[in-house]
Amino acid sequence: MLDVWLGAIQGLLQPRELMFLGLGMVIGLLFGAVPGLGGSTALALLMPLTYGLEPISALALSGGVMGAVPMGGSITAILLNTPGTAPNAATCLDGYPLAQQGKAGLAIGAAASANAIGGIIGTLSVLAVLPLAKKLVLLFGPPEFFLLAMFGLVTTAMAARGKLLRGLITGGLGLMISFIGYNEVVGGERFTFGIDYLWDGVHLVPALIGLFAVAEMINLSVRGGTVSKDAAAVKITSMADGLLETFKHWRTVLRGSLIGTVVGAIPGVGGVVASFLSYSMTVQASKNPESFGKGNIQGVIAPEAAINAKDGSALIPTLAFGIPGGAEMAVFLGILVLHGLQPGPMMLTQNQTEIYGLVWALTLSCLLASFIGLLFVRPLAMVTLVDSRILVPLVLCIAMVGSYAIDANIGNVILTGVFGVLGYLMIRYDYPRLTVVIALVLGGTAERNFHQSLMISDGHYSVFFTRSISLALIVLIVAWLTWPLANSLLRNGKPGLLQEGS
Amino acid sequence: MQRALTKTLADIMPALGLLLITIAYLTVAYQYSPALRAFPVMVAWSMIALLALDLVARTPTKLGRAVTRWLNPASAAAETTHINRRDLVAVLWVAGFVTALVLVGVPCAVLLFVFASARWRGKRSYAVSLLLAVATMMVIWLLFTQLLRIELYPGILLGGA
Repeated sequence: MLDVWLGAIQGLLQPRELMFLGLGMVIGLLFGAVPGLGGSTALALLMPLTYGLEPISALALSGGVMGAVPMGGSITAILLNTPGTAPNAATCLDGYPLAQQGKAGLAIGAAASANAIGGIIGTLSVLAVLPLAKKLVLLFGPPEFFLLAMFGLVTTAMAARGKLLRGLITGGLGLMISFIGYNEVVGGERFTFGIDYLWDGVHLVPALIGLFAVAEMINLSVRGGTVSKDAAAVKITSMADGLLETFKHWRTVLRGSLIGTVVGAIPGVGGVVASFLSYSMTVQASKNPESFGKGNIQGVIAPEAAINAKDGSALIPTLAFGIPGGAEMAVFLGILVLHGLQPGPMMLTQNQTEIYGLVWALTLSCLLASFIGLLFVRPLAMVTLVDSRILVPLVLCIAMVGSYAIDANIGNVILTGVFGVLGYLMIRYDYPRLTVVIALVLGGTAERNFHQSLMISDGHYSVFFTRSISLALIVLIVAWLTWPLANSLLRNGKPGLLQEGS
Repeated sequence: MQRALTKTLADIMPALGLLLITIAYLTVAYQYSPALRAFPVMVAWSMIALLALDLVARTPTKLGRAVTRWLNPASAAAETTHINRRDLVAVLWVAGFVTALVLVGVPCAVLLFVFASARWRGKRSYAVSLLLAVATMMVIWLLFTQLLRIELYPGILLGGA
């Protein structure tokens, strides 16, 4: 195992790979700092550009982006009370009051060091768990993989805070779209309506670029203006004290990192839950809970440590089972597939150098991005002053041309446009997009394993109920689906009175 | 009364639209062999059940409120907003850009789109708009043609397939 780890580090520490890692970090910081863009948009835009790269270079670039986005997001959360990415919203609660008190530097310094430490703890957990995951994954057959895909979809729908029904609907929509094209198991094409381009199914990468990059740009274009109206708000003071504060509150860092690690490993739950859970547990554990929300530095440290720790552990379900932990991981999974790396049991045994290379890239990125972030705080915050009417056409051009460049097919551009409009309608009508993405990724796997399960059982559906792991997964799925009703009954004694936002 | 009816109709439009798409999908699915349609049909019927629940949840009835509170509590709190002129304009700009890319190819479409966006939406001067358009095209040309060795699409009207 040590050989593989060292081999992966050696592979990563080449000038070319370090260059891509650095480039990924800068892009990640930039996209993290601009509210509405975030890691999934950055990865979706970069995906076609990685096509000509070696897998390890592409993973270094992606690792750089994923490790740096939270740091970029925390800068705007603290300075402008506008979280760059959704999980950074918890940082606003105490980060912005600190900035208002003239302690923005303290908050940003603390966020940077909490980010770095959280990231390291998260990736260490991956190193510890991946060898175990390799053994676990071998116990899974087609029925288990089918049910695991369904479980991934249900947990993702559950995680769409308070929108279970709409999450399930968009999951179903994603599955329906994923059935388009030629089916290799049964043999025959479906829903192509004579369009040759659709024979290979809906191409994942152009669809993701549309759902994230294009949809967000349409949204930004409708909102108009700039993210920050006030250039004077972009003011920074001393940051060194903030770095020290993190070490002074090491229990908060550790608690946040552990919460992030556990939450990150559950598919679909994601960074928002991790950061807010870490924040609320820190408030509960504090001797001075009333100081939170008014500028308590622990209110910055707790969520930031959880956000970066979550990124590392979210790799576990993504790499071991091919079930992405969130939107960013779903797009990242697209990058893996683009480079011929098929997440799942085979990848754990055959692509260990790439896997550990990615883990180290994430670790390095978390560490370095925090320091680079501190150096570039001012210019990063200035990005929020760019007029959306200039930013939108530039990003759209890169998105569309990038989509075309995947395999020099103009059909990709049309597909990206269609998914861009679909994604925007989903934003507008308050339907979660993450479940569509997860369903697009899992649809093929689910159907293949569904047919294979029926083949090995001579068409009997009992195969899903008579194996212990399958049965456990069914119980979990039913438990997840009935939880809102049970919770409602427990709280109020009758259904239908679930408190909003609970 | 008419206003309330219009609001209810507008509220149920997304779910109704999805329901119609799912019914059409199911109709097409039944034309395939039993093995080929097995899973799509299962998913489509589940979708119809879920969409029926969503439609009920959007009605101003006791049952509708109960379903919302149980399965969609966040949507009850969210303000319903409907498609307006700004949305249509933003979507049409993207649609226009995609059409231009297909018809006149990447170089012309990028120049036109960035120039038009900066000039008429961004209210920049002709010179600044032109400069932005040329700079964007240069970045794309350097990135894709020079670095990645990908030939940019020339457009159907200019010889593209």
